[in-house]
Amino acid sequence: MDKVGIVGYNQVKCYSDANYGRYEMIFEAVRGAIDNAGLKKKDITTVISATNDYYDGRTISNCFTVEVGGGYMADESKVEMDGAHAMLYGLMRILSGNHKLAVIWGGSMPSCYPYHSARLYETDPTWERPNAYVNDITSSGFQMRAYMEKYGLSKEDIAKVAVKNKKNAAKNPLALEESQNPNISISDVLEAEIYADPVTELMVAPPCDSVAAVLLAPERQAVKITDKPVWITGVGWNQETYYLGERDLSQSTSMEHAAKAAYDMAGISNPRNDLDVAELFEVCAHEELIFTEALGLVEKGKGPQLNTEINGDFPINPSGGALGGNPPCATGLIRIIEAVKQIRGEAGQYQVGDVKRAVASGQIGMCAQNNILYVLEGEN
Amino acid sequence: MSKQTQRKSMDYVKKEYKRTRTMPANWYLSSYEYKFNITHMQPFLKKLKEKKLVANKCSGCNRVFFPPRLVCGKCLVKPDRWVDIRDTARVATYAIAYLKDENSEVQEKPMVLVHHDGADTSSIAELAPGVDVKDTYISMPIKAHWKDNPEGGLMDIEYYDLMDDDAEDLNESK
Ligand SMILES: [Zn+2]
Repeated sequence: MDKVGIVGYNQVKCYSDANYGRYEMIFEAVRGAIDNAGLKKKDITTVISATNDYYDGRTISNCFTVEVGGGYMADESKVEMDGAHAMLYGLMRILSGNHKLAVIWGGSMPSCYPYHSARLYETDPTWERPNAYVNDITSSGFQMRAYMEKYGLSKEDIAKVAVKNKKNAAKNPLALEESQNPNISISDVLEAEIYADPVTELMVAPPCDSVAAVLLAPERQAVKITDKPVWITGVGWNQETYYLGERDLSQSTSMEHAAKAAYDMAGISNPRNDLDVAELFEVCAHEELIFTEALGLVEKGKGPQLNTEINGDFPINPSGGALGGNPPCATGLIRIIEAVKQIRGEAGQYQVGDVKRAVASGQIGMCAQNNILYVLEGEN
Repeated sequence: MSKQTQRKSMDYVKKEYKRTRTMPANWYLSSYEYKFNITHMQPFLKKLKEKKLVANKCSGCNRVFFPPRLVCGKCLVKPDRWVDIRDTARVATYAIAYLKDENSEVQEKPMVLVHHDGADTSSIAELAPGVDVKDTYISMPIKAHWKDNPEGGLMDIEYYDLMDDDAEDLNESK
């Protein structure tokens, strides 16, 4: 694969009820990314956004986000998935050889709509919706119980992930304020409001308002724009069946396949040694453990035994992950940005030593139906 | 897949997919609250109360936006200057809608794109009730019909009245 570099990024802080209009928040993210990279509107040749018609309250919602997203009179398209999938589309546009600068942005404002209710409409109208009340949270309950049961894990094992991520989020100035808690304990997580037993409120990635933007450029342009480009050296994505009943929810087969593809492309044979940090999009605390295992960082069922603190054996989600704020359609893109910050040494208080190679993931669908994984590397 | 299996699955499509049944279900996605930060629009909203109109102008390309815009897409900047514009306008283009009234009688109604004098953009609006569709034409002079007591909101202009071809306002605006 030709070298494609991430040459700029910007994220608006996560808010539970942002004092922003939708239009302005997108503008701040995109204009900010362009400014940070020292570029101009006319440098943009293609724009890919990740939004959702319902989350925007209008049909074909990229019609109205064109101006603020930098897509006016440019090659523009939208991905109705996670921001990490929009980046895949952007990557392909660059690899086509026709573009010099791609703007990828994604995000939404769940303070404007009932996010978890909207996700009830994701289930099958014939077989599922009339029978049971299943959305992202209840399906996470299925997944968490299946995972714990299979490997004999306790709720405390899962709560530990939430504790770690909320503590990490406290060091991340862009995380959701309500998620930043340096003093949180396992019992706080277990005794929080029950969302869908065994899932409690503090185990769920909180939907919040934010928009993130990333700039991609082919090698020739990337090295001119910045002296710290971060290269995409591997990418893999995979989708499993729609019906939850057809999957083994105690593992993530799609993430295993995505990781294999990404590792093969990047020439990674031993992920535990070859990688320095992972930023993973976990909708629920236990998903981080399932992904850790799917990425081959530990054996199946041993997720809780790996020390994933910022200064641990293998840091995962030093930024706080999605538990530190989950703006629909932006979260995967934010994971990529956080991995880029780690590689460029720009992560401030949650910087993980010297990072040469990182992975970042995005996902969409119930119980992480579709996963995408990027391998990112610094200059040397 | 063997040829035979394939043939069988095609039979399945032919034979068993013939009948469908509809299922009643809702596709109601609950409520949506549109957020709009009004800080940038204050000059526009204030002037509406005085039955006056302002548009905003982009320093990058000098386009005058009415209604005012938060961002000029061409330059990817916020238009930062405010300019007064008239409440007289012209019909930029129009379409005729057929809407049922409360008695289920179909009414013809012209929907128009209104181009205010002094602006570079047009806005969607309605013509005064009772305007005969046959009288509508492109570049027809019209004038904002204000609410009796404007509140500084977007609905302060109720609709657009027709102007006589020799109206004084019209000559002024030329
Ligand atoms: Zn402009």
